[in-house]
Amino acid sequence: MSESMRATVRDVFRAAGLWHIWVRLGIQDVRLKFRRSALGVSWIFVNLSVLVLAIGFIYANLLGQPAREFIPYLTIGLILWNYLTSSIVEGGNAFINSEGYIKQISLPIYLYIFRAFVSIGLTALIALSAFVIVALLYQVPVGPGTLLAVPGFMLMMLASLLLVTIFAHLNTRFRDVAHMASVGMQVLFYVTPVIFPAELLRKRRSLSLVIELNPMYHLLEVVRRPLLAAGPADWRSYAVTALFIAVLAAMASTVIGFYQRRIVFAL
Amino acid sequence: MASIHLEQVDLEFRVGAERHQTLKSAVRQVGRHRSVGRTVKALQGVTLSIRSGERVGLIGHNGAGKSTLLKVLAGIYPPQRGRVAIDGHICSMFEFITGFEMEANGWENIRTRAMLLGMSPREIDEKIEQIAEVSKLGEFLDIPVRHYSTGMYVRLAFATSTAVNPQILLLDEVMAAGDAAFIESARKRMNDLMERASIVVFATHSLDVLPGFCQRTILLRHGHIVADGPTEDVVRIYIESAPDAPGDRVDTPQHP
Repeated sequence: MSESMRATVRDVFRAAGLWHIWVRLGIQDVRLKFRRSALGVSWIFVNLSVLVLAIGFIYANLLGQPAREFIPYLTIGLILWNYLTSSIVEGGNAFINSEGYIKQISLPIYLYIFRAFVSIGLTALIALSAFVIVALLYQVPVGPGTLLAVPGFMLMMLASLLLVTIFAHLNTRFRDVAHMASVGMQVLFYVTPVIFPAELLRKRRSLSLVIELNPMYHLLEVVRRPLLAAGPADWRSYAVTALFIAVLAAMASTVIGFYQRRIVFAL
Repeated sequence: MASIHLEQVDLEFRVGAERHQTLKSAVRQVGRHRSVGRTVKALQGVTLSIRSGERVGLIGHNGAGKSTLLKVLAGIYPPQRGRVAIDGHICSMFEFITGFEMEANGWENIRTRAMLLGMSPREIDEKIEQIAEVSKLGEFLDIPVRHYSTGMYVRLAFATSTAVNPQILLLDEVMAAGDAAFIESARKRMNDLMERASIVVFATHSLDVLPGFCQRTILLRHGHIVADGPTEDVVRIYIESAPDAPGDRVDTPQHP
């Protein structure tokens, strides 16, 4: 390991050890984001309900899906998809939003990665509570298998942390990246089974590859399947997710190696 | 024991390349020589050692590299070449008008800043009343800092920053802002803080306060250390040295 790599690893651990700072900053970010609005944090739920109602009843009819299955499926899908999108788009601004601190306080810059990770993850957790209500309303099956959603969600958090890291570095250097990524996620949204069931695509042989090769789909599945069916996701989803996370980790360490020392100059 | 060691430190800013680069220009550059963008050499071959107990002044014209050197000492700017070894808890006071959460109120901002400067939550609980008192912001602490004036930002940041117990204290011309009454009380508090720290490095333009504060002074010019020694000698060199480069002449009035 080279000297600068060792220094980087040391910085990451030092930043992680300062968890009382980034947890507090992350929670504060969520509180402040909604402070001046009348509805406050409830906006997360309003947002979600409007989308679920609008998409849900139209698509359930359009696709001939029973609402009892489709609405919970759609709700959890949207929550998780928003989590991934904000990891990329909001996460891309992790350093930019913390510029005032980075430029005058001598703390490792990864602190601000963790800060964004907390605020994005907390927002997702709050949104997840909406799924509980929907699940009760539509009597989604619950069993010991439901608990498999917990390790699934941890995999997703890991992916989120890596996405924040990658896009925070890239976007600080090239300010176009967050915009490009946001366009990319919009395209992926229509390709990934979020507002339509995967089975519909699977029926068309020519389109089934779109699902099998889409890491986003599998990442959703490791959380969504246990929550909806109280059992594990397909083993292939775990395999692809593990591979996806490994690729993200490799990308993150490459990006760190390239840009970490230049971040403060690019702000 | 706190200590600072720099060895042959070079730091350059890539002006064009770093600040204005877009993805488009980066793609265009692929395969070409990296000739786009000017580099400004902010520090060149800087070598220095500061031991526990030393108070060091940093002087030089605007753009000589004082602030850049302080930021290297703080670990904020990683230099391109050379070795930096800093031992001890650092507290830096560079500017008091950025680094606020605009929607948060004064109390919350005190907590955030104090935490970032290395205070533990319990320490903050103990000191927060005293910090509030020093800031003289009274009930303004209850409103979001977005409504504050510049002077109020300075007071809030100053009161918080001076409550820490750093081993290494880095100051960049911080007494410049605030109204006269505040500056008077601030000076005393700053002196106390400087007494507590085991190393103080401070950049300044006010040559008259320098001898009272520190025995040792470093003179920078164009990113080089030109002189490093007893304050009286270095200040004399600084005053006597005729402005010899275009960059130096900026400060002196022009006579037709």
